[in-house]
Amino acid sequence: MKIVATVVAACLLVSHPRGAPTAETAKNAEKSTYNEFSAASAPPAVPYRASQLAAKATARNATARNATAESAELAEKKNYKRVSAVSAFSAVAFPTYAKDIAPLIADRCAMCHHEGGSAPFSLTTFNEIKRHAAQIAAVTRKRFMPPWKADPLDGPFVGQHPLSDAEIELLQQWSDAGTPEGDPRELPPARSWTEGWQLGAPDLVITLPQPYTLPPDGTDVFRIFAIPIPTDRPRFVRGLEFHPGNARVVHHANIRVDPTPASRRLDAADPAPGYDGVIARSANYPDGHFLGWTPGQVAPLLPDSLSWRLEQDTDLVVELHMQPSGKAERVSPAIGFYFSDVPPTRIPAMLRLGRQSIDIPAGESHYTIDDAFTLPVDAEVEAVQPHAHYRAREVRGFATLPDGSTRRLIDIADWDFRWQHVYRFVTPVKLPKGTTLAMRYVYDNSPSNARNPQQPPTRARWGQRSSDEMGDLWIQVLTRTDQDLEALSRAFRPKVAAEDVIGYEVEIEKHPNEADLHDSAAMLYLELGRYEPAIAHFTRTTALKPQSAQAHYNLGTGLTMARRLDAAAAAFRDSLRLDPSYANAHNNLGNVLLAQGKNDAAIREFREVARLQPQSAGALRNLAAAYAVDGQFPLAVETIDRALQLTSSDPIAGELRRQRAMYLQRRTDPPRQ
Amino acid sequence: MLAVVVAFALAQTAAPAVRVQFLDGPTSADPFSAPAGVKAIVFLFTSTECPISNRYAPELRRLAETFVPQGVLFRLVYPNPAEDATAIREHMAAFAYAGATQALRDPTHALVKAVGATITPEAAVYAGGRVRYRGRIDNRFVDFGVDRPAATEHDLRDAIAAILAGKPVTHPETQPVGCYIADFAR
Repeated sequence: MKIVATVVAACLLVSHPRGAPTAETAKNAEKSTYNEFSAASAPPAVPYRASQLAAKATARNATARNATAESAELAEKKNYKRVSAVSAFSAVAFPTYAKDIAPLIADRCAMCHHEGGSAPFSLTTFNEIKRHAAQIAAVTRKRFMPPWKADPLDGPFVGQHPLSDAEIELLQQWSDAGTPEGDPRELPPARSWTEGWQLGAPDLVITLPQPYTLPPDGTDVFRIFAIPIPTDRPRFVRGLEFHPGNARVVHHANIRVDPTPASRRLDAADPAPGYDGVIARSANYPDGHFLGWTPGQVAPLLPDSLSWRLEQDTDLVVELHMQPSGKAERVSPAIGFYFSDVPPTRIPAMLRLGRQSIDIPAGESHYTIDDAFTLPVDAEVEAVQPHAHYRAREVRGFATLPDGSTRRLIDIADWDFRWQHVYRFVTPVKLPKGTTLAMRYVYDNSPSNARNPQQPPTRARWGQRSSDEMGDLWIQVLTRTDQDLEALSRAFRPKVAAEDVIGYEVEIEKHPNEADLHDSAAMLYLELGRYEPAIAHFTRTTALKPQSAQAHYNLGTGLTMARRLDAAAAAFRDSLRLDPSYANAHNNLGNVLLAQGKNDAAIREFREVARLQPQSAGALRNLAAAYAVDGQFPLAVETIDRALQLTSSDPIAGELRRQRAMYLQRRTDPPRQ
Repeated sequence: MLAVVVAFALAQTAAPAVRVQFLDGPTSADPFSAPAGVKAIVFLFTSTECPISNRYAPELRRLAETFVPQGVLFRLVYPNPAEDATAIREHMAAFAYAGATQALRDPTHALVKAVGATITPEAAVYAGGRVRYRGRIDNRFVDFGVDRPAATEHDLRDAIAAILAGKPVTHPETQPVGCYIADFAR
């Protein structure tokens, strides 16, 4: 029995890569989970200092302040003294443009509302501002502008420009007073805004091969574009800058990278530029970094130590969220890349809290989801990004430290799907090992939620389309060391796989005949060690694609992992009936036969693999292992020698030499009982 | 100042004719005058730059297609004095209003005040010698940043239909969401 266990394990681990399922969809499945977590690629362990990142993050602010000081300042703004002065002076002391309004607008609005900025109109001159006075008073009073949904007290976050209640009152008073100009000598110095690229001249700019035409009418449009990134070698990316190309209609952009051809195939299948649907699962955030754009947000350049690696032949996947303007609009975004010459020394981890079991009854106005994860190591939160669709109303993330204290990370009392910022902390939030990260989102699926995409409301379940619901909180953290990163990855990976499998089951319910979904779900179940549901999904694929050798092969592999060896052998034989030259199926059948003690039959299979793949050292190594199991050590040594002639690359050759030494030793030992 | 107040007081008793500029017609004319057989006039206050107004262009064209054959006249009203005839013609061409509606300028806000409009887009329906409906086109926009994927109440459409059917308008006044006409006069 021991031998059986060992050999089965060997077939799945040692004889890699042929042991694992190799379906096309299986390849996708390996990348199927959003890159929640980027494992360290073994750079040296460099202790880091929070201040490096903090300094970077504050680059846009005049001075670095600590969280407490910023909070105190914000609190003070809420009791803005000038307003009490205004009321004390009665009607005479109304606010003026020069003294009160011009500095406020310049400081909080004009970074987007300037000529060429990301906002649809400019607010830089007296005439421009007074002709929007009532509008400004109304949109600020309703906290629609400036667009900042999170409670600023949980930051400070990079790029937040909150208005205090008193400042909003001032804007209203100025509008009501008839927009008096005041004394021009009191005007603040004129500001100049950087034209074009805010981060400087990019090293590479990519655009759509042809512009997309947005139709004039209807509700929000989501369109996904796969844009090739032309690069002749791997590059290290310090930043991206996104230009919407048409600020009137482009509301935000989700950006991912896809190293596979999956996204470009979807794009190519649609005759117009881009495609409708959902982002391919192979398109992910790179190495634990956020990408994306909302108006007014430019992610600061990363230090060289935190760049991310861009492989050749990768596509940038850009999902544009657009709102029709009333006439047809041409949309042609541009994305600037900023490269570094040196590889990163540190890689952040991207944690994802959230539920894919979301199932909101029609009419339910207070549906809550919770999720939590306890950090196995010390970590620093760099940034968070909540994601949910139109029914979400409250979005909260917080950390409970081992001492029981709670630190809020993000608090949005009035979620708006259209403002999906990445919230970057000016000062990263240090959290000790044992801290529990948690999220709680509340949804309103009643008719009183005007944004509800279904009227009258219907049951809402998890799904990536905007008519479905989602509830994720992405948390970007840095660990102290690479060992800590690995420990975090190990602890986190099963959690996210378990959640993804729930999402796949929901999708499969909607699309029960999509074999790719069954395969992807099965792969996740195998990863989680839940063999029976994996086998059920692989079985379903064989029913959907009875002529697919790969489908039967995958089923055989799942059955092997579940130790159902007779059924596994039958599945591999089904696969080989359809494709007698399927080397991996011969190999895995060989492993099963070996585990069943059918050594002669097993050796025949491994010989067939070696015949089909005469240049494969791995095939000979497995054949040698089979001879060894059968006690034929001289043949095992001879076969290893043949394998060594095929490879000189060190990890494999070294392993072969170790195996050879072992067989040589066993050859001289007394034969088995 | 006093003179204005007196003039206003007089206006209460003897309403002076409201004068507007027709884009392709007289430069000073009565916006309420219409050829014989017209059963109602729909004024739609708009501006070239207001995004919410512009998003309604396709819906306004649909309304015109439905009701023009039934004897309803559609008149786009541009209350922003900064928007001249050239800008208005460009706007009408860009949003395909041309042909569907007449256009008039109301730089002095005479018509704005006469019907009580405050927002673009805002509609006023004039029939039988008085304003029978004033307010939003539909309930798609709830507030700034809050809108429905599709309207569930079509106030303007329902009001016109009621007037044509000789029935009372259920909600003669509603609150539109959009840009402030008051800002145009500054």
